[in-house]
Amino acid sequence: MSQVRVAVDVGGTFTDVCIFDEESHKIRVTKVPSTPHDPLVAVMNGVARANIDLEDVTLFSHGTTVATNALITRNFPPAAMVTTRGFRDVIEIRDGTKDDLWDAYKDVSGPYIRRRDRFEVTERIDYAGNTVMPLDEADARRVAQLLRKRNVNTVAVCFMNSYANPQNEIRMREILEEELPNATVSTSAEILPEIFEHDRFNTTVANAVLAPLVSGYVNRLSDQLKAGGYKGDLLVLHSGGGSMTPRMVERYPVRLAASGIAAGAIAAKHVAQQCGYENAVGLDMGGTSTDIALVSGGELRITKEWQVEYGHPIIFPSIDVLTIGAGGGSLAYIDIAGSLRNGPQSAGADPGPACYDTGGDQPTNSDANVVLNRLGTSLAGGAKNLNKALATEAIKKVIADPLNMPIAEAAHAVIQVANANMADAVRLVSIRRGHDPRDFALVAFGGAGALHGAEVACELNIPTVIIPPNPGVASALGCLLVDIRHDLSSMFTGIAADADTEALEGMYVSLESEAMARLRQERVADENALLQRQISMRYLGQWRSLSVSIGSGLGALAEAVETFHEQHEREFAFSQKDQPVEVYQLHLTAIGKTPKPSFKPAVELNADPGTPREIRPVYFGELGWVDTPVFDRDDMPAGAMFSGPAVIDQFDSTTVIPPNTTAVIDEWMNILIHLEEI
Amino acid sequence: MSGTIAVPLAPTTALDPVTFEVLKNAFATSVDLMSEQILRTCYSFVIYSRDFSSALCDAAGNTVMQGSGDIAVHVGTLHFQCKAVLEEFGTDINPGDVFAINDPYRGGTHFNDVSFIRPIFSGGEVIAFAQNKGHWADIGGNVPGSFDVNAKEHFGEGLRITPVRIWSRGVFLHDVAQLLVSNTRAPRQAMGDLHAQSEATAVCEREILRLVDRYSKATVLHAMQETQDYVERTVRRRLEGLPHGVWETTDYMDNDPGKEEGLVPIKIKLTIDANGIHYDLAGSAPVVATFLNSGYGTTFSAIYAGTKTFFPDVPLNSGFYAAVTADIGPEGTVVNAGWPNAVTGFCSGPYEKLMNGIFEIWSKIMPERAMACAFNLEYLLVGGKDGRTEDSPYFMWYDWMAGGWGGRASKDGSGATAPVFGAGLAVQPVEGQERLSPVLTSMHQIGMDSGGPGRFRGGVGIEKGGMLTDAQNAVMSYCCDRARSITWGIEGGLPSIPHGVWLNKGTESERFLGSNFSSVPVQSGDSFVRPSAGGGGYGDPLERTYLEVLDDVIDGYVSVGRAAKDYGVVITAIDPDLDAYEVDEAASVELRHDIAAHRLGWLAEDPATVSARYISGDIDMLDVIRRYGVILDWGTGELFATTTREHRALMERRSSAHWPVVPA
Repeated sequence: MSQVRVAVDVGGTFTDVCIFDEESHKIRVTKVPSTPHDPLVAVMNGVARANIDLEDVTLFSHGTTVATNALITRNFPPAAMVTTRGFRDVIEIRDGTKDDLWDAYKDVSGPYIRRRDRFEVTERIDYAGNTVMPLDEADARRVAQLLRKRNVNTVAVCFMNSYANPQNEIRMREILEEELPNATVSTSAEILPEIFEHDRFNTTVANAVLAPLVSGYVNRLSDQLKAGGYKGDLLVLHSGGGSMTPRMVERYPVRLAASGIAAGAIAAKHVAQQCGYENAVGLDMGGTSTDIALVSGGELRITKEWQVEYGHPIIFPSIDVLTIGAGGGSLAYIDIAGSLRNGPQSAGADPGPACYDTGGDQPTNSDANVVLNRLGTSLAGGAKNLNKALATEAIKKVIADPLNMPIAEAAHAVIQVANANMADAVRLVSIRRGHDPRDFALVAFGGAGALHGAEVACELNIPTVIIPPNPGVASALGCLLVDIRHDLSSMFTGIAADADTEALEGMYVSLESEAMARLRQERVADENALLQRQISMRYLGQWRSLSVSIGSGLGALAEAVETFHEQHEREFAFSQKDQPVEVYQLHLTAIGKTPKPSFKPAVELNADPGTPREIRPVYFGELGWVDTPVFDRDDMPAGAMFSGPAVIDQFDSTTVIPPNTTAVIDEWMNILIHLEEI
Repeated sequence: MSGTIAVPLAPTTALDPVTFEVLKNAFATSVDLMSEQILRTCYSFVIYSRDFSSALCDAAGNTVMQGSGDIAVHVGTLHFQCKAVLEEFGTDINPGDVFAINDPYRGGTHFNDVSFIRPIFSGGEVIAFAQNKGHWADIGGNVPGSFDVNAKEHFGEGLRITPVRIWSRGVFLHDVAQLLVSNTRAPRQAMGDLHAQSEATAVCEREILRLVDRYSKATVLHAMQETQDYVERTVRRRLEGLPHGVWETTDYMDNDPGKEEGLVPIKIKLTIDANGIHYDLAGSAPVVATFLNSGYGTTFSAIYAGTKTFFPDVPLNSGFYAAVTADIGPEGTVVNAGWPNAVTGFCSGPYEKLMNGIFEIWSKIMPERAMACAFNLEYLLVGGKDGRTEDSPYFMWYDWMAGGWGGRASKDGSGATAPVFGAGLAVQPVEGQERLSPVLTSMHQIGMDSGGPGRFRGGVGIEKGGMLTDAQNAVMSYCCDRARSITWGIEGGLPSIPHGVWLNKGTESERFLGSNFSSVPVQSGDSFVRPSAGGGGYGDPLERTYLEVLDDVIDGYVSVGRAAKDYGVVITAIDPDLDAYEVDEAASVELRHDIAAHRLGWLAEDPATVSARYISGDIDMLDVIRRYGVILDWGTGELFATTTREHRALMERRSSAHWPVVPA
């Protein structure tokens, strides 16, 4: 057998497998139901279903929502936080702000560790790193023993000003390790050696609550792959759009908080560029949620101000993705005031939508699509059969009867609300950042993206929708396209003109040696390692800083200051060259380059879409039921041109092409839908 | 080319829905982009903490769109400031001009809030104004941070900036700018903010001109008017589903230091009729002898922001102001102070009272969105010389806290939340403060028993304390309220806790400094602590479930002692190490019956006796407040007889009138 690269992406409902054959340069995919009780089962099921011999695998990469789901559901093992006396509520007080400034009934969600599980010890470091009070050993031991009594198995140690002097945190860690030898301990100065207690504490707490779950999961998977004959390292995608090996996941599980989300965004960028679009909106609609990413000028936006939920920051560079609770499994319901709502609650994989016949009796978007005949009754190549009678019953009971509407109309209303919610979210990320969506292409993917993409684009006046060849496993494709990446930082505050450039160079050198150590631990050959220095600076007295590239050597800082003035001018239309510039933080990005798949375009194009598998009535709003050809995507050639309405079925997804549109399949096998009259 | 003001033509046809939607969102974007830029370039840590706002105004100065993340307190003041510039400069407004204004007697908020206003020109005429308003850390005056509690007139408070030109036809008037910033304690930072804010308005200008290019000037002008009409229409549609009628309430500030003890009334009457929503503030108190007075701009702001809380999804612009009107009465009152009365502390004074009073009224109209009183906005300022370095620079430790919001009709109040004055106003990171000032924070934590008891408890408040480590010539000032007019409950709920600062608490030199004081000398080694109140409770606390009270005890939000006294729930600890507690149901049934039978009597107990028992240590502060409804000087235990009488009347209306009558 030829050698292959394999990517597996775990979603809320399905686990997707994407296999790149290094000889044929072709991709094949498979899909198995997710197994939320233990996602690993589905990963290995997928490997088995795809007939992969792990001995042939040269690279195995993995995107997982294990961390994201755990954070959202607060489904953690017994965890605790140990902090400086007087500061146990830092993660609950946060910065006090509300997400919704005006709705007094909408609250910010609670902290990751409840108050009853947060404990204080006597110790204090001041702003300069001086010890005001050493760690009270007896107090520390008392807390450690209390945690043992409570069977805690992961602990976040978060002390004030520990970024300036981590000694007390380190000592606390030692005591915890003595008293709770089996527990994982995350200290804030190691996880994020940066100023501002809430950002650092919360990132550390998120790391701690995820630690046993995520690293246990990744290690078990790694062991199973090894046992099957895979010789390389498992690469796990992280929020920053790079990947890590299990050794680093063990230390920094919080970096996986947006693993699955980042994969989709990377795939959207890749597909848009393949089609010649530098500006694109990625709409990744899965079973429980939709992730929206913006590609502008060929780049994905990276942010350090990132969070899974408002008010709980995770301060690592992350791809900027907006997630809303709208997915195939989102529940439709009538609220207390009698209006039709859609999401964010989801039927998930268990009990699942009513049509899954797995115990769910509440209607979801999938049920509405089945009722409207948009979705056929067989999913994932026959792996999952859908029960239309149950879908109809759920829509009738919960939506149609209370609203006194015909069933098809009710199902269509459910879809319209879902589409409007997604369109609003796209507006939020595009228009609100100064972009007109009409200048963008919409890349629709995920299990349900291709079902909804064209109508969402229509709401937004977006002229072109791209459906990649395997929309249901696009995130898995994204996993194949990334390098190993680490982001390191260090505080360094002082006026640039007075800065000790030797000390600065020394700090970079030490960050670099830490970075190289990490890459070597991940078995990256030195010639594949790439280190990029950046420095954050600001005008003295400013509060936010700008990050610019900086070279090495003693003259580098002066050059970086010039770059800072230029970038400030470019971004904010003014600079103040006569004002002192302050250095704030040093950053280092360490990249371990991994080989990328090279795709090949189709050589022959054929405009004939072929013969539809069947004609079935599909419901399209005002047009009512319209006889619609249903094609098998696998049978459609590159170059095929056709008009809506049409439904295109394939193994991992169903594409709805509404009336009044035209579509073409390009040489990369993407479907491009062009909307008319907009 | 200058001097013409564009007037939108009377639209013959409505804009198509897509264009209208795109432009409405684009206006919002142009304003939010201003906000994003100012956040990333500002110098004032107060601006950085989101005490700023941005607006696009039309050529007549009416607000077309306010920033979606704007602080509530600036709502409804930006059009006044824009109109003040128009009145002052008339036709002498040119491309490339930028104006500054901070005048609270021209509809501004307080002197620290400096607005920069840039006219946007198209085809030789003004089509709009871009405005950014931000809170400078200092604007001069008697005290660092420019919050002089003792000020009675504005002359010592800080620099008053009537509309003034800072850029003229693109030329920076450095002499004028220098005059402004030289009147502050941090001229270099003020100059930085002056540039940052002015440049932010240019971002909005670029966006609007892009829209004019793409959609035509006429369409953009049309859409600016449509956007206002749309908001007015939306509010009026909503009113169709609401009852018509008249509602009244009174909220109080603590006292007027120029008078005997006694609460200071702010009266609100709301009328809903076919014409819309109308407020009348007749009967509110005359100006007080501190800076806790409100100018007309901020009074209107409180009215709009308070009302908007019950219409959370309606965008804010002058269309809203057309549907919501108010008669705030003649000058000379706490709600319409007028020149030259000091108004800088309006935010802790009338503003909060108006907003919470409006919440109380709307809680009757929309009971499903009811909310009891929230904690009071508070600012603690410590300024002096920082002895940690040889040059001993000036430092300003300027701190505000989150606190609790009121209990609601279906759930507890939101705890540890930014003030209603601005739900986006972020509290500062302690580690940042410690770098900048010689103050070591001793605690920043949730206050046990700080939430007002109720069927739905008020949200929890915060306690923050600190010690001065190395300072010279330092003084402390505090701008707050509600040490006596305590954060109240509704529908049978109870009050939370009083605000106020304690100096050297628990030592021989302990002093209760109260909720409003100025320039108290403090030295290295002095420690201070103050709470922020929790929210008031909603509904009868004796109806709260055992399980909810038990959970509160496990999390330390409520003490075992107060679980019994406030809720009548008897809880015993089994093994606190493992969070094992038990509710004694039989004892609780008995205790609840006992409280129900006696609580009206407790509220009638002789206040002098209550005061004596507090002084003797027989009862504590929360017993005095929640059980007996008596108001004391919390430091000395001295009785405030008039205040107590007024306070008990309120408690009867908001709390005890809702309790079932149970025979003893």
